[in-house]
Amino acid sequence: MTRMASYESGKGKKDINILNYFRGDYIGFQVLKSVVAATVSFLAVFAAYVFYNFETLMQDIYKMDLLAFGKSVIILYLCTVGAYGVISYVVYANRYNRAKKSLKTYYNNLKKLAGMYDK
Amino acid sequence: MTTLFVAKQYVKNFISKYEVYLKPLFKLILALVTLMIINGKIGYMHRLDNISIVLIASLMCSFMPMNFIVFLAAAFTVLHMYALSLECAAITLVLFLILFLLYFRFSPKDTLVVLLTPLSFMIGIPYVIPLTMGLLGTPASAISVGCGIIVTYLINYIADSAPTLSGMETEDIATRFRFIIDGFLDNRAMVLTIAAFAVTIILVYLIRRLAVDYAWTIAIIAGALADVMILLVGDLMFDTNVSILNLIIGTVFSVLIAKIVEFFAFHVDYSRTEKVQFEDDEYYYYVKAVPKITVAVPSRTVKKINTSRKRPSGSSQSQR
Repeated sequence: MTRMASYESGKGKKDINILNYFRGDYIGFQVLKSVVAATVSFLAVFAAYVFYNFETLMQDIYKMDLLAFGKSVIILYLCTVGAYGVISYVVYANRYNRAKKSLKTYYNNLKKLAGMYDK
Repeated sequence: MTTLFVAKQYVKNFISKYEVYLKPLFKLILALVTLMIINGKIGYMHRLDNISIVLIASLMCSFMPMNFIVFLAAAFTVLHMYALSLECAAITLVLFLILFLLYFRFSPKDTLVVLLTPLSFMIGIPYVIPLTMGLLGTPASAISVGCGIIVTYLINYIADSAPTLSGMETEDIATRFRFIIDGFLDNRAMVLTIAAFAVTIILVYLIRRLAVDYAWTIAIIAGALADVMILLVGDLMFDTNVSILNLIIGTVFSVLIAKIVEFFAFHVDYSRTEKVQFEDDEYYYYVKAVPKITVAVPSRTVKKINTSRKRPSGSSQSQR
């Protein structure tokens, strides 16, 4: 009973929040957040890279193939975001399943407790 | 030994009884120490390097979530870097942005480690972090510790090269930017420390989960030895200038602290181990049960004896 109460006031709250969503909605929303986070991080690192190689880039800007450069940057961006998206999908799918499992155990225990009171 | 167990029980009872007050107090002290160390190390912005501001910020941290301390420490660091030079602030900001956006989205519980790792470096016992995180955490803690090490080395690097950076004022902004990035990325000691700590955390975690007697003690010793070995071999290979005396003394202290952690987190009586086997319809179970050591705290009962003088005669004792 004490354990149930501690679950309810601690981890249970988070689990209930997670299970307010459908599985697909929850994971989709979290992956979307991850994609935004990855995009911002990528932009920050790219800006640092450009600034680091500022002189070289300025010298070669008329010589280099800008289209190919842009293509490689986009491919790199897609790879980064894709990899991060997959990792977050796995993590959040796992979290959703775990929350579902522990909330199910909690409700079963709650039923048992209610049964005890009825007796 | 029994006295120690009783003391442990007292400590546990005390903490659970006064948790409501102790938690904010702990946060307050942690925030205060962190911000004061940041100010002492890189106090370039004089407005922030002020005890009243630090006190107000720490008091604010005491009733906010733990992660707020990390956020505030990061903000203080970036502002100090900004006072030193814009490039330093930009690099630090990018680093913190990546850490917060990419990693701490997943493990908000581990953010405290990022705070404790630089603190342990400042007090000279960084080796305690991989040992305790291996004991209390998971292998994923290696990433948090790695982030903490990166932050520590960046702050140290910028603090050490601040005079050089001030002398480069005539150079253009891109040159200074390159100077910081090159120096930071070319830091072999940082890479070696990250590798050594990651291996130690994983090793300690794997050994302490084994079903052998004294697994935690074996894990602590094996982890400490592995850490020392990797750092020394790395020093020979990459010439990272590891101070052997500091390494050994720091490791001994770290082992002692890890033993204290073990005493509080995992204390069992291996002499009363029981091995049982049973089966059900689907499985056959081989169970090894090791009892925890529990000691009943001697409870004091206060007997209050009031002598009432008003009563004229007879026994005048009343007990409560």
